[in-house]
Amino acid sequence: MIEVSDLRAGYGGREVLHSVGFTLADGENLAVLGPNGCGKTTLLRTLAGLLPFEGTIRLDGKPLSGMRPRERAARVGLMSQTMQIPFDYTVREVVRMGRYRLQRRALLSGETEADERAAEEAMRATGLLPLADRRVTALSGGQQQRVFLSRVLAQEPAVILLDEPTNHLDLRSQLELLDYLKAYSETPGRQVVGVFHDLTLAPRLCGRALFLEGGAVRGDGAFSKIATPAFLQTLYGVDVRAHLEEALAALPRAQDAGIQA
Amino acid sequence: MSNAISQRRSGRAGVLLLLACFCAAVFLLAVGVGSVAIPARETLAIARARLTGAPVPETIPALHVSILTKLRLPRVLLSLLCGAALSVSGAVMQSVLRNPLASGYTLGVSSGASLGAALVLLLGLRLPLIGAATLPAAGFAFGLATVLLAMALSARFDPGLRSDTIVLTGMVISLLTSAILSLLCSLNRESLERLYFWQLGSFSGATMEECALLLVLLALALPCLLRLCGEMDILTFGDELAGTSGFSPKRTRTALILLATLLTGTAVSACGAIGFVDLVMPHLARRLVGPRHRALLPACALLGGICMMLADLAARTVLSPRELPVGAVTALFGAPFFLLVYFGRRRREEDA
Repeated sequence: MIEVSDLRAGYGGREVLHSVGFTLADGENLAVLGPNGCGKTTLLRTLAGLLPFEGTIRLDGKPLSGMRPRERAARVGLMSQTMQIPFDYTVREVVRMGRYRLQRRALLSGETEADERAAEEAMRATGLLPLADRRVTALSGGQQQRVFLSRVLAQEPAVILLDEPTNHLDLRSQLELLDYLKAYSETPGRQVVGVFHDLTLAPRLCGRALFLEGGAVRGDGAFSKIATPAFLQTLYGVDVRAHLEEALAALPRAQDAGIQA
Repeated sequence: MSNAISQRRSGRAGVLLLLACFCAAVFLLAVGVGSVAIPARETLAIARARLTGAPVPETIPALHVSILTKLRLPRVLLSLLCGAALSVSGAVMQSVLRNPLASGYTLGVSSGASLGAALVLLLGLRLPLIGAATLPAAGFAFGLATVLLAMALSARFDPGLRSDTIVLTGMVISLLTSAILSLLCSLNRESLERLYFWQLGSFSGATMEECALLLVLLALALPCLLRLCGEMDILTFGDELAGTSGFSPKRTRTALILLATLLTGTAVSACGAIGFVDLVMPHLARRLVGPRHRALLPACALLGGICMMLADLAARTVLSPRELPVGAVTALFGAPFFLLVYFGRRRREEDA
C-alpha cells in the first residue's frame, strides 16, 4: 500500500512536482504516464528515496522519510535502465548484488546459501540461467535489461519501480519483460509502479493509470475508464486511437498477405 | 551449480595464493640483489635469528647483516607497502568514480600530497603532538584537499557529476600542483635535489619508522575496505542502483574516498609521487581475479607490492651505481602496459 499526499519535489531549487497525491491499494499496479517533462521520472525517483521531498509518502503506513536505507530497500526496489557498465561483472554477480539488503555486514562476504538460491531463482524467472556466468558487458541491450530485472527480483522488494522498462527492447522482449513483472506482482504484498511512454504496453501490466501534466495529477483511475480518446487528446494533443488504427492498417493482415504472395 | 561457484572461488583463492608466493619470492630477490649480493639462505638465516632472538650465525659477514637490516630491508619493505597502498587506493578510486582512468595519480591526490610533503620539508615544519608523522599527515591533508577541490569544481561545472569531469578536473589540478612544486624547486635551488625526489619518487633513505607507519595504516584501512566490498561492487553501477540497494551511497563514497586518499597520501609522503602503479595494477588484477572487490583488493595489494619492488630493483641496479627515479621506471613500463590492458579489453568488447 502506497499513500502519497501533497508531494512536492524537484532538483536543486527547481520544483518539478507540485502537490501530487494518490493512494495505491495492495496488489494494484500503477502506470505513471504523461507528456515529456511532466514529472514522471521525478515522481519515480522520489518514491525510490533518491530525491529530497516535501509532503508525505507512506509505504504500508510507514513514512518514507527517515526510513533507514536497508528498510527502504525492502519496501522499494528500482529496476534501472540499462547503463554504462565500467567493469566486467558476470550476470550472477550482478544479480547477487540485489541481495545486499538481506546480508549481514561481514569482513569478506555475508552471502548465504539462501542468497545463492534466490539469485538462481531470479535468473531462472527471466531465462538468464544459461547466461549466468557470462560477462554483462558482453550481452545485448535486451539481455542486460533482463539482468537488472533479475537483480531487482532477487532484492524481493514490496514495490518494484520501473522507469520506461521497455526502452531499447524489441517487441517480444518488451512483452516478456512485462509478463515477468506481472507474475512478480501477483504474489501478495507485492506491486509494481512504472513510468511508461507507450500507452499500448502499460495496460498489459498495470490496471491503474496516473496521468501527470506540468508536475500535477491530471487524471487518476482505472486504465479502462480514464484513458478515453478525448482525455488523451487533451493531454498529448494527438488522437491516440486514430494513430493506433492507422498503425494497424499499415500492417497487412494474414489473409491480405496471402493474396499478394 | 554451487559446485561451479566453489570451483571459481577456489580458483580465485589459488591466484591470490600464487601471487602471495610470488610476492615473497620477489621480496627475497630484491633484498638480495644490489652492489653487494646477499644469498637468499643468508637472508632467511638472519630473519630466523632476528625473529627468535638467537645470535646471527658467524658464517655470515657482519657487513651483510648491516646492509640487509639497515638498507635493503627498509627499502624493499617500503616499496612493497607503498606499491600495495597505491594500487589498492587506485582500485577504490576507479570503482567509486566508476571510471577506469581514475587513480590517485590522475586525480591529483599524488601531486597534491607531494606538494604538501615538499612544503613540510622546505619549511622544516614539525607539528606538535604528531612530530614524525607531520610529513605523512601533510601528505594526507594536501592529497585530500586536491581531491575535494577536484570534486567541488567538477560539481560546479557539471551538476550531473559525471566521472569523466572529475578525472579531467583532477588532471588539471594535478598539473597545477606539479607546476607549483616546480616553482618551489626553482626558488629553492639548495633543496632542488630533495624536491626533485618528490616529483619522481624514490625509495632511497627508507626507514623502518616509515614502514611501520604505512604497515599500521594498511592494517587498519584494508579491513575497513574489505568490509565495504559489497558496497563498492554496487557503487560501480551508479547512484540510482546503489541508492535503492540498502545503503547510503553518499556516505559510503565519502568514507571510501577518505580511506583511499589516506593510503595514497601516506604512501606519497614516504616515497614521492610515483604514477601508473595505481592506474595499471587494478586493471591487471581484474584480468586475474575478476572485478569483485573481495578478491580484487587483495590481488591489487599483492600485485602493487610486487610491481613496486621490481621497479625499485630496476631503478637501483640497471645503471648502478647511479639510481634512476622509480617514478620514471613505473611510467616507462606502465604507460605502454596500460594501453595494452585497457584497449585490449575495449577491443574484445567491440568484437563481442
